[in-house]
Amino acid sequence: MKQETLLALDGLTVGYGPQAILENINLTLQAGSFTGLLGTNGSGKSTLIKTVLGIIPPLAGRVAFDNSGGRVPVLGYVPQREALDPIFLLSSFEVVLMGACGRVGPGRFVGRAEREWAHGCLRETGVDDLSRKRFAQLSGGQRQRVLIARALATRPDLLLLDEPTAGIDANATQAIMDLLRKLHEEHRLTILMVNHDLMAVRKSVGQVIWLHQGKVLFGPVGELLSREKIEEIMELELD
Amino acid sequence: METLREILDPHFLIRNSVYASLLVGFACPLLGVYLMLRRLIFMGVALPQISSAGIAFAFSLPALGVANHMHAGHFEGDERLLAFVGGLGFTLAALLVLAFLERRGRGLVEGRVGTLYVLAGAWSILLLVKNPTGERGLLDLLRGEIIAVPDLDLWLTLVTFGIVALGLFVFRKEFLLVAFDRDMAVTLKKNVLFWDLFLFVLIGLTISIAVLSVGPMVTFGFLLIPPLIAHLFASNMRQFSLVASGVGGAAALAGFCVAYRLDYPVGPTDVALLGVIYAVAFLGRKAFERVGRRKGLSGGGRLV
Repeated sequence: MKQETLLALDGLTVGYGPQAILENINLTLQAGSFTGLLGTNGSGKSTLIKTVLGIIPPLAGRVAFDNSGGRVPVLGYVPQREALDPIFLLSSFEVVLMGACGRVGPGRFVGRAEREWAHGCLRETGVDDLSRKRFAQLSGGQRQRVLIARALATRPDLLLLDEPTAGIDANATQAIMDLLRKLHEEHRLTILMVNHDLMAVRKSVGQVIWLHQGKVLFGPVGELLSREKIEEIMELELD
Repeated sequence: METLREILDPHFLIRNSVYASLLVGFACPLLGVYLMLRRLIFMGVALPQISSAGIAFAFSLPALGVANHMHAGHFEGDERLLAFVGGLGFTLAALLVLAFLERRGRGLVEGRVGTLYVLAGAWSILLLVKNPTGERGLLDLLRGEIIAVPDLDLWLTLVTFGIVALGLFVFRKEFLLVAFDRDMAVTLKKNVLFWDLFLFVLIGLTISIAVLSVGPMVTFGFLLIPPLIAHLFASNMRQFSLVASGVGGAAALAGFCVAYRLDYPVGPTDVALLGVIYAVAFLGRKAFERVGRRKGLSGGGRLV
């Protein structure tokens, strides 16, 4: 079966200001794929994902989305949860409802259908019972689920997650990865996930983008995360 | 109570000053909430000072040979309008410069805001050093004397604050999204620069009007302290704004009563009163939390 290309990076160079972090990236993501974006701290993972999202402009090349259906694909973004300021007195439900802002025009009230959709997203991620609780008071794992629910509330074609399991315990990490696998399998959701937890990535994703010393390696998980390949890339001796 | 009845009497001689204080008390905290949420409290100090520099610039025009018909420092008719335009112009220019520099992402935000603050203070004095009448007008403003507020000014204040409050209410969804998660707003195709500028225009309008009515110190007091008090007790964003505005309005009225009764300047009295309310609220909140914790611990070890 021929798969549709959802995202193509065409000669893309990313970085801040005049400083390029990654240069000349060429790869495509198929609709319905689950891709892990790996790399050490400072390798450019977040910069690349933010460029794909349009938050940072590319230094060269382009990010192209398939809009053959007559519309630009919607991107659901799950940021690193520390980026969100706890000073805001927002409930989990209000945070999720922000996902509807792309469809509700400026100055218009968020209607009943959108509110029900937001509740559905909270249910989908298993945190419906926390909808009235203040977002800033939730545990790391709970906040992550709420942020995934918010991204789902955008009705995304592509879900992009920046370190969804960073700083949370092993059980919560497992639960988040199970949730992402379920969303991918049940809804055929295309996912691009930044993570540096090799084990979590290996179990869940189908393909990997690995950023290492300015190089971009892209391939199926079985190939790129094999023991030999990891040794070769990391130049490490594994016991 | 007698004082309250007296100052709320429609025939009270300086009733416009009461109404202007109340309007500033209700409106400034609504903007202060956003300054606090966006961690721009320093800007709340600097902008009123910059607005004062704009007013000083307007006062200095007669000495510079421009607008010679003005009687600087008296603030009537055209003079007040010019002072308002000066204050608003300087405030919006400063906001635009700060927004532009922030987008470039270089240097320290606090450093830039602090520099503008101190420069605005210095220029306010220098601009009026050869103009004793204008200098006296500015000193009254800095002291927070709220005595003579003409009808036209009161209406201008009411209409401006009405527009600002309406703007904040109608577009609260957009302002909140851009303040809470700017990156998310970009991915949802929101024009964050437009919403930033829109909010800055509302902030600039409010500060310019407030500084003209009550001076920079009182304006900053009402921008900052009521939101700090409200944040101690509010449980959601709507309560946060409403409680902040309510505290500001109540403090403005109570401050006016105290100042009138004791023959103190209104502005500093308002700010001092806000300080007392904040201290009491803070201590009350801490005591409440302590009692709550004790109850929790004695309640059969439910916290374990």
